[in-house]
Amino acid sequence: MTKNSDTTAGIYKETLLAGLWRENPVFRLLLGMCPTLAVTAAVKPALTMGLCVIFVLLCSNIVVSLMRNLLKPHLRILMFTLTIATFVTIADLFLKAFALRMSETLGPYVPLIIVNCIIICRAEACASKNGLLVSFIDALGMGVGFTLTLCVLAGVREVLSTGAIWEISILPAGFVPWAAMRMPVGAFITLGLLLGLVNVLSRKKA
Amino acid sequence: MSKIKYFVQQSWLLIVASFCFGLLIAIANAHWSDEIEQNKIDKLNHLTAALLPKARHFIEIDTEIEVESAKGKKVKIKVYRAVSDADECVGWSFNAVGPGFADKIELVIAVDKDFKTIAGFDVLASNESPGTGDKIKEDKFRNQFKDIGAIKLELIKSGKAKDNEILAISGATISSEAVVKIINHYIKEVREAMQSKGLLGNDKEQ
Repeated sequence: MTKNSDTTAGIYKETLLAGLWRENPVFRLLLGMCPTLAVTAAVKPALTMGLCVIFVLLCSNIVVSLMRNLLKPHLRILMFTLTIATFVTIADLFLKAFALRMSETLGPYVPLIIVNCIIICRAEACASKNGLLVSFIDALGMGVGFTLTLCVLAGVREVLSTGAIWEISILPAGFVPWAAMRMPVGAFITLGLLLGLVNVLSRKKA
Repeated sequence: MSKIKYFVQQSWLLIVASFCFGLLIAIANAHWSDEIEQNKIDKLNHLTAALLPKARHFIEIDTEIEVESAKGKKVKIKVYRAVSDADECVGWSFNAVGPGFADKIELVIAVDKDFKTIAGFDVLASNESPGTGDKIKEDKFRNQFKDIGAIKLELIKSGKAKDNEILAISGATISSEAVVKIINHYIKEVREAMQSKGLLGNDKEQ
């Protein structure tokens, strides 16, 4: 805990920053591995997935926080799932209406946000125990942390698999694309190396 | 009576939330359903127009066409009559679905007006492996189906393909085989169904 964490502003800052580094959902908590591995072959789908998760996280945390005093302990998981499924369905419909090609690229991984552990974890660990503002900031921090992680992973894979980033060529014409980086094996290798790098950096910080 | 009271006490939030969330999804769906439907039509028209370049309009035929699906069930499919500027039938197109390597593959198949030549196919939806199975969407594979006889196609794994042969994608034999099977099955089924309804060889009836 830092000195700031005792003040209200300090709590908000700590909550926001936790999702970005200290409790980063992918690198520190190892949550949401399914989309992390599946949609990071390129930056565009990774960013879209991240934005969908931010939307669902924000909406579900707000709703869960508002009804936290009414929740029955044995029905809470059911309520969380119902809330998350609603906003995921809305995000899915939005993509189908306004970004059909992206919706097709992401395929079943948008509906699968319903079972993304990050969202249910934040509903259980934060939103069901805290007020509206803390829940909102927590969702924002976790969502942005997740999105940035996905984009970093996707950036590495896209550059090595196509020589381009955001479909803009950045490597010399002689570069031989690594086809494996587009495939699941590329996702596992890149994630493993980045996790190792984050661990090394964390140790140095400590 | 007490049981009902207990049930309501325990589940009222769930019931109210289900109603509200259902309403939210219904509103989103109603709001965006036109765009979603239009996107589907645009995609189908775009793909089919590329397969039958002489066609200017695609008219869904009124007659119900029922075919046997890959699972052996009878399913109704939409068949479109491709019409030229001179209001002549220049071909037919229809959707076809079958199992692929990872998930089902949904195709749009176009044939000439007499059902004797395949004009080509395109992929409406698939989740085949990136880098291998998803090459079924690429021109190199799809072009093999252009302007070939609408007879039973055979898949070969290597060598030079003859008239009714299709060369499989290297490393994606199952996906290649799935496409060939879907096309063989649906062309036979749709042709028979249309012949039995008297739709083939008599354009003026449309």
